Amino acid sequence: MSPTTYLADSAQAVLTAILAAGQRVVAPVEQAGLLAFAHVEQAEQAQLIGQTRASAKELAFPRTQRLFGYRFGNPGVELLPGEEPPAPTVLFGVRPCDAAGLAILDGVFGAEPADAPYLARRARITVVGLSCDQPQAHCACTAVGLSPTATDGSDLLLTPLAEGVLVEVLTARGAALVDLLGEALRPGAADKAEVTARAEAAMAPRALPAGLADGLAAAFGEAAWADAAARCLGCGTCAFVCPTCHCFDVVDESNLRGGQRLRVWDACQFGLFTLHASGHNPRADQAARYRQRALHKFSYYPRAHGRPMCVGCGRCVNACPAGMDIFEVAATAAAGQG
Amino acid sequence: MRTETYEPHLMTVAQVRDETADVRTLRLTFTDPALADSFAYRAGQFAFYSAFGEGESVFCIASSPTETGYVECSFKLTGKVTSALRRLSEGDVMGFRGPYGNSFPIDEMVGHNLVFIGGGIGMAPVRSILVNCLDRRSEFGDITILNGARSAADLVYRDQTDAWTARSDVRCVKTVDPGGDSEGWDGEVGLIPHVLERLAPTPHNTKVVLCGPPIMIKFSLISLEKMGFSGEQVITTLENRMKCGVGKCGRCNIGGAYVCCDGPVFTAAQIAALPQEF
Ligand SMILES: Cc1cc2nc3c(=O)[nH]c(=O)nc-3n(C[C@H](O)[C@H](O)[C@H](O)COP(=O)(O)OP(=O)(O)OC[C@H]3O[C@@H](n4cnc5c(N)ncnc54)[C@H](O)[C@@H]3O)c2cc1C
Ligand code: SF4
Ligand code: SF4
Ligand code: FES
Repeated sequence: MSPTTYLADSAQAVLTAILAAGQRVVAPVEQAGLLAFAHVEQAEQAQLIGQTRASAKELAFPRTQRLFGYRFGNPGVELLPGEEPPAPTVLFGVRPCDAAGLAILDGVFGAEPADAPYLARRARITVVGLSCDQPQAHCACTAVGLSPTATDGSDLLLTPLAEGVLVEVLTARGAALVDLLGEALRPGAADKAEVTARAEAAMAPRALPAGLADGLAAAFGEAAWADAAARCLGCGTCAFVCPTCHCFDVVDESNLRGGQRLRVWDACQFGLFTLHASGHNPRADQAARYRQRALHKFSYYPRAHGRPMCVGCGRCVNACPAGMDIFEVAATAAAGQG
Repeated sequence: MRTETYEPHLMTVAQVRDETADVRTLRLTFTDPALADSFAYRAGQFAFYSAFGEGESVFCIASSPTETGYVECSFKLTGKVTSALRRLSEGDVMGFRGPYGNSFPIDEMVGHNLVFIGGGIGMAPVRSILVNCLDRRSEFGDITILNGARSAADLVYRDQTDAWTARSDVRCVKTVDPGGDSEGWDGEVGLIPHVLERLAPTPHNTKVVLCGPPIMIKFSLISLEKMGFSGEQVITTLENRMKCGVGKCGRCNIGGAYVCCDGPVFTAAQIAALPQEF
């Protein structure tokens, strides 16, 4: 069944209608010269051109999240609840790569036993995707089987066309939002193929080599990793900006009266990540850590789930202070050209 | 809201036993009586133990599923959380969440001769499956136990080792590294792989449970192979750093395997097929 579709004047007009319907909205806004997802109250605050510095994952998987609290009694300990998730929110203007990233996180956190703190936040988010008509130099969604107008992870997808904006209703949650928008949307259909083709043509050609998952597994012992990692600083930026990276640490914050247990983002690029209490470290050098990142995304995950754990947003390539390009390193290692 | 994925159960410290100068065993009982009745686990599974204010640490459940009404863990003093857990006394409250992970294949072990080898604190996971098997003694063939440590003072579960030694239906041997024996030592002297070769268990219809530090595992596997044991006959456990126990935090993987979900129990054959990154 093809999704129900509507037409609207513009993405801005859809956002105006969502705000008018009283919805809480988080959308890209300009902050200190960078784009970031933030709470907006007026449609004009949203900046709908360009890519946000960090991905949209934060709303569902925040940098710091309180899992529960505790109070020291005398005697005993009293457990206190975890964070109260934010009110139901429309996450507006999410690029197809970021929306697909949320779909991957849904798979990880939703797999049994499910992660309750993630699901509690996620259940309150409606994703309004926005197709990409101006790809960036580092974009690579087509290399990982997505496209600038892909629907994965969106509840509604907006695609700007010459005659206005096409609205695809993809889930029941999307349909429920449409019901609130009244006149702003009119039933109608349009073909987004031309927009897709134009955006894809504007992207730098990138492709993953055939058989990459097996090739990388076979290249586990290759020298290529040491060569690549000689440049990597182990700063973790790549993981923090990535829409699919989900590693976390669990830490306590406390005083004499009580405290809370938090989960905080972590990254496999840090030397302490796998360090045992005994001092032994299974990934003792940056080569092993960089290899872990590349293999998790392009070998271990695809072998289990049939697709890369990368949505091709290109952020890691763009943000890396050492100019590392994971697509290039993975392809080189798999080809055994270290 | 639902936070139960990471929220521990409150437990009362019912007993504190010092095994060695730096290894302590805690016996924990559930403060919630309903949980005490419904809690079930299998030998080989692990749990997260909370010292509120400091954090949580992963230890195997060292008691056996046949010992009901409590769980026990034995841990070595290493850092922040283990220091805080050592500050607890009987009657104090701590946190526990679990059980997690797979378990020793006890059903496949039925009808076999069993060899249990534990080095140092590695005796903790061995203890769970060993006591489980001893409590079902008639279902197994010959049982051999080898408990080793650096020195006599580092040998854990000494009282139990003595009780096992006194039994006529098991062969129990304790050993210390050369130079680790002290006045009145009545066990073997030698590294575990060497003592194992002297004991010379027959591979025929036998399963081996082997837990301990990586170096001991490595050389014991070489000895076992020399004696004719296959990788499928040897069962061991892996310890990777863990934060979640449920396949989310991305910390414990070895290649495509997550030690918290696919392990911690693996056969030597399974480990040989993984990337050598542990
Ligand atoms: C499945 C499994 C079963 C285990 N069973 C047992 C058992 O039965 N008995 C036993 O004694 N041990 C067992 N262990 C090992 C045990 O989990 C560790 O020894 C223990 O967690 C150390 O905790 P600690 O808080 O005292 O040390 P910590 O203070 O947490 O850590 C010691 C060192 O680790 C590093 N570290 C810890 N946390 C961080 C962080 N957040 N960031 C950076 N570095 C950090 C630091 O270098 C620190 O000095 C098991 C481990 C696993 C995975
Ligand atoms: S690849 Fe780049 S961004 Fe990632 S850890 Fe290395 S230096 Fe940092
Ligand atoms: S690995 Fe890089 S390109 Fe792929 S999704 Fe993550 S940040 Fe984007
Ligand atoms: S402990 Fe978190 S993924 Fe295994």
